[in-house]
Amino acid sequence: MSFKGQMAMMAGKSSQWFLRTFLKRGSSLPGKIALKIDPNVLEELAKDYEIIVVTGTNGKTLTTSLIVNILKQKYPHIITNPTGANLKQGIVATFLSAPKVKDGKKFAVLEIDEATLKNVTQFLQPNVFVFTNIFRDQLDRYGEIYTTYKLIAEGPKNVPSATVVANGDTPLFNDSSLKNPHYYYGFDHLPDGEQLADANTDGVLCPHCQHILHYKMITYANLGKYYCPNCDFQRPALDCRLTDLEEITNHSSSFVVDGHSYQLEVGGLYNIYNALAAIAVGKFYDIPAEQIAKGLQQSKNVFGRQEVIQVDDKEVTIMLVKNPVGLNQVLDTIALAPQPFGVVSLLNDKYADGIDVSWIWDGHYEKLQEMEIPQVITGGKRHKDMTLRLKVAGLEDRLTEQPEFANLIENIKEMPCQRIYVLATYTAMLELRQLFKEKGYLK
Amino acid sequence: MKELRICHLYGNLMNTYGDIGNILVMEYYCKKMGITTTYDLISLEDDFDPNAYDFVLFGGGQDYEQSVIAKDLQTKKAPLTTYIENGGALLAVCGGYQLLGQYYVTADGTKIDGIGALSHYTRSQAENEDRLIGNVKIYNDDFKEEYIGFENHGGRTYLGDDEKPLGKILEGNGNNGTDGGEGVIYKNTFGTYFHGPILARNENLAVRMINIAMKQRYGAEYTEIPFEDVK
Repeated sequence: MSFKGQMAMMAGKSSQWFLRTFLKRGSSLPGKIALKIDPNVLEELAKDYEIIVVTGTNGKTLTTSLIVNILKQKYPHIITNPTGANLKQGIVATFLSAPKVKDGKKFAVLEIDEATLKNVTQFLQPNVFVFTNIFRDQLDRYGEIYTTYKLIAEGPKNVPSATVVANGDTPLFNDSSLKNPHYYYGFDHLPDGEQLADANTDGVLCPHCQHILHYKMITYANLGKYYCPNCDFQRPALDCRLTDLEEITNHSSSFVVDGHSYQLEVGGLYNIYNALAAIAVGKFYDIPAEQIAKGLQQSKNVFGRQEVIQVDDKEVTIMLVKNPVGLNQVLDTIALAPQPFGVVSLLNDKYADGIDVSWIWDGHYEKLQEMEIPQVITGGKRHKDMTLRLKVAGLEDRLTEQPEFANLIENIKEMPCQRIYVLATYTAMLELRQLFKEKGYLK
Repeated sequence: MKELRICHLYGNLMNTYGDIGNILVMEYYCKKMGITTTYDLISLEDDFDPNAYDFVLFGGGQDYEQSVIAKDLQTKKAPLTTYIENGGALLAVCGGYQLLGQYYVTADGTKIDGIGALSHYTRSQAENEDRLIGNVKIYNDDFKEEYIGFENHGGRTYLGDDEKPLGKILEGNGNNGTDGGEGVIYKNTFGTYFHGPILARNENLAVRMINIAMKQRYGAEYTEIPFEDVK
C-alpha cells in the first residue's frame, strides 16, 4: 500500500474511532476525511474483497441483509453498508469500519441506489451485480423504467468480467446487449397457462418487436414466464428455480428451490423474490443448501418493513408503501392475515415519498373491500387524496379522516379490532415511529 | 337507467401517473348520479368505433410505449377525428394530449406525427430548458372554476387558433411555460398535462365531463346534475 493510502486509512480509522467513542455515532465523515487525503483510497481498501452490489426498485435492503446472513454461514468476514450510505464516502466509511483480517475470504455486500451504481463502478470492481427488479417508482425522481434499466446496466458494462445475478422473471433484465455472464433466478411452480398481464401494468412490450408480451405464468405485476407471440423473445433458462410454493402467510413462507426446502420468516410473495436473489448468490458461491437455509431463517424484519409495535392492546404492523407494485404486494400480503383487522393509510408527499401522489390511483385499493375491515383511517399530509382514493375503492362507509398526525395514536387505540395494519409512505412511517417513541411505545 | 360507455384508449400501454384514476372517479360519480357504466380497452390493432362510446380517456405513457402507439394511432385517425368532430367527450392527458395534435418534434429534431385532430403542436424541451415539474393551479373563465394538478413534462405545447386553453395559469408552467395557458378545450375534447389524476383532484370537472357526455348521448332526455348535488 502507498504511504498516502496508509495515511488516509489511518486518518479515516482514527476519526471513526473518535466519533464512535466520544459522540456515540458513526457517519460518512471518516470516509470524507480519508478521501480528502487520498482520493484513490477505496482502491486500496477494497483490494482483497469479493464485492457484491445489490440494486433495483424494490427489495434492495432485505435482499442485501439476506445475502449477508447466507454468506456468514460459510465466510466470517463480511461488511455491509447501512441503508442510504451508498455514496462514495459512505462506502469508504463501510470499508474503514471493517476489522483487520489476515486470512480467509472477505466479502463486501453493498446496497446501491439505481442512479448511483454507475458512479460506484468508476472506483469499485464488483464481482457480482444483483438486479432485484425494476418497477415504476416515483417518476419525478427516477423517470421511466427503461431509463432506470439503462442506468443500472452501466454498472456491469464497466466491469465486463462481473456476473449479473438477475431476476429472470423481469423482461427488462433479458438484455442480449449486456455481455456479462448472467445467472437468472425465477419462479417455475405452476403448470403453463396462457395469460396476459393486468391492463394497468408497466413494461409489457417486447423490446425486440414491440408486441404485447404473453405469459405462461405470472407471479405479480409484469413478472413471470413471459414470451413474445411474435418473435423469439422469451424468459431465459433459469439457473436458480423455485419449483414449489408450499405455504405463504402474511408473516412467513416456505418453498422449494432446486430440490431444497427453505423457510422465510417474512411475509409476501415479493419477499420470496428477494430470498431467491439471495439464494442465487449463495449458490453462486457454492454455499451448501443447508447453510443457505440457516442463513435465511435468521432474517429479521428490516426496520419499517413489516415492523410490529404493541400499542396497549393493539398489535400494530407498519408496512412501507412507495409505489403501485409495492403497494399491491402489501395488499396481497395483509389479505393473508387473520381477519378482522383495521387499516391506517398514511400519505405524505415530501421528496422522499415522491411529490407526485398520483401513483395511489394505480394501486389496487379495491382489494381491501374483499377483506374484513371494520374501520379505515386516512392521514398524512395528503389525507384528502387518500380519503377520495379509498371512497372510490368502495370503503366510504367505514372511513375516518384524521388530518392531525398527532391524533393518530388515539384513533388507533379506539379502533374496533385488535390487529391493525398501517400502510405508510416513507416520511409518514418515520413520523409515526417518532410519535410512537414519544408516547413510549417504541424505544 | 342511463348509461355511460367508457373507452380507455391504449389503457394497457398509456397508463403512467395514475391515469386510470380518471375513469375510477367517473365511475364513482356515475354511480351517485344513477348512471351505469361500461368499460372497453381499445389498444394496438383494435378498431375504434366512433359511435360506440360516450367518453374516451387517452392517457400518458413512457417514451417507448408512446413511440409504439404513435404508429398504431394513425390507423385510428379517421374514426377518432369523427368522434371528436361529432362532439364526443374525450379527456387526453400528457402524451395522449400531444398525439391528438399535429406533431411532436423530439430533442434530435425528429418529427413524430400526431393525428392532427386538434391543431396544436409540441416540441421537446431545448437543451437550455428544464423539465416542467411541480404543482399547477389554473382558472377557467367560462366555467368559473379553479383546477389543480401536478405537471411533469419536457414537451412544450403550442395551441392553434381554433383552440382554447383549459385554463389560465395561476401557479406553475402549463403548456409551454410562456403563454400562460394550460391544456386545451376543443368542442368536447379536453387535453391537459395535469396528473393527480385531474378528475380526482378536481371532482367538479369529473361531474362536468359526465354531464357533457350524457348530454351528447341523450340530448334533451338528459337533465344535467350539478356537482353540488352529488358531492
